[in-house]
Amino acid sequence: MDIVVHEAGEHVAVLQCTGRLNMVSAPAFRETVDQVVKGGRNNIAVELSGVDFLDSSGLGALVGMLKSARSAGGDLRIAAPSEQVQMVLKLSNIDKILRTYPDGDAAVSDWA
Amino acid sequence: MTTAMGAHRLDLACPPDDVTAVHDFLAGVWRDEPSIGAEDRMALELALVELTSNVIEHAGAGRGVSCSLDLDVADGTLGAVLRDDGGALPIDPAAASLPDALAESGRGLALVQMVVDELRYARVADRNEWSVRRDRRRSGH
Repeated sequence: MDIVVHEAGEHVAVLQCTGRLNMVSAPAFRETVDQVVKGGRNNIAVELSGVDFLDSSGLGALVGMLKSARSAGGDLRIAAPSEQVQMVLKLSNIDKILRTYPDGDAAVSDWA
Repeated sequence: MTTAMGAHRLDLACPPDDVTAVHDFLAGVWRDEPSIGAEDRMALELALVELTSNVIEHAGAGRGVSCSLDLDVADGTLGAVLRDDGGALPIDPAAASLPDALAESGRGLALVQMVVDELRYARVADRNEWSVRRDRRRSGH
């Protein structure tokens, strides 16, 4: 998975992800979000339109990063999930705890 | 148009192989089996990647694992068997359920249960054997 970090404000970052979020890519994803949060950007929007596969390893990483962001006083939101990602979020009920936005701009509009 | 309908097989040695091999294998199956609808493809890919991840993480913990994945495409059903030479797992897949919302692991088998019509685990002659069956959904409804 490729991750591009866009600094969208002093405490805001949009992570544009492409590829698969599974057991192969989840550790690097966690590490990237950790670094962004440690750098002071604790409001994170994860833009997922380019992610065509998410599984329980990816869900675990998203939940872990949500907890990291919140414990740093921020939050984590997701944007533009593909059909497969929406299916997995719904089956796992994670759609109840991770708020979904139509795109990265909408996800950060009240943070910027 | 003729449709390839039949058996597909993938052998894995982890490491160096990982679930990327399963994704690549399935991409080839979808090309060979154009009659499989998008919903069935998403379900089967999730189920088989979850099961393989589980095998790599648990059955192969610390020493690696070899496995084989057999996928059978039939008119009405998709069936797959994943066999590995890892340690026995004290698992009852029927008991799999979603953990607390903020848990960071433990969702894999519960998700598999939701996207297949049958999931079975057996220990057969020093090998673990995971079988799944999904009844094919008619596309376009």
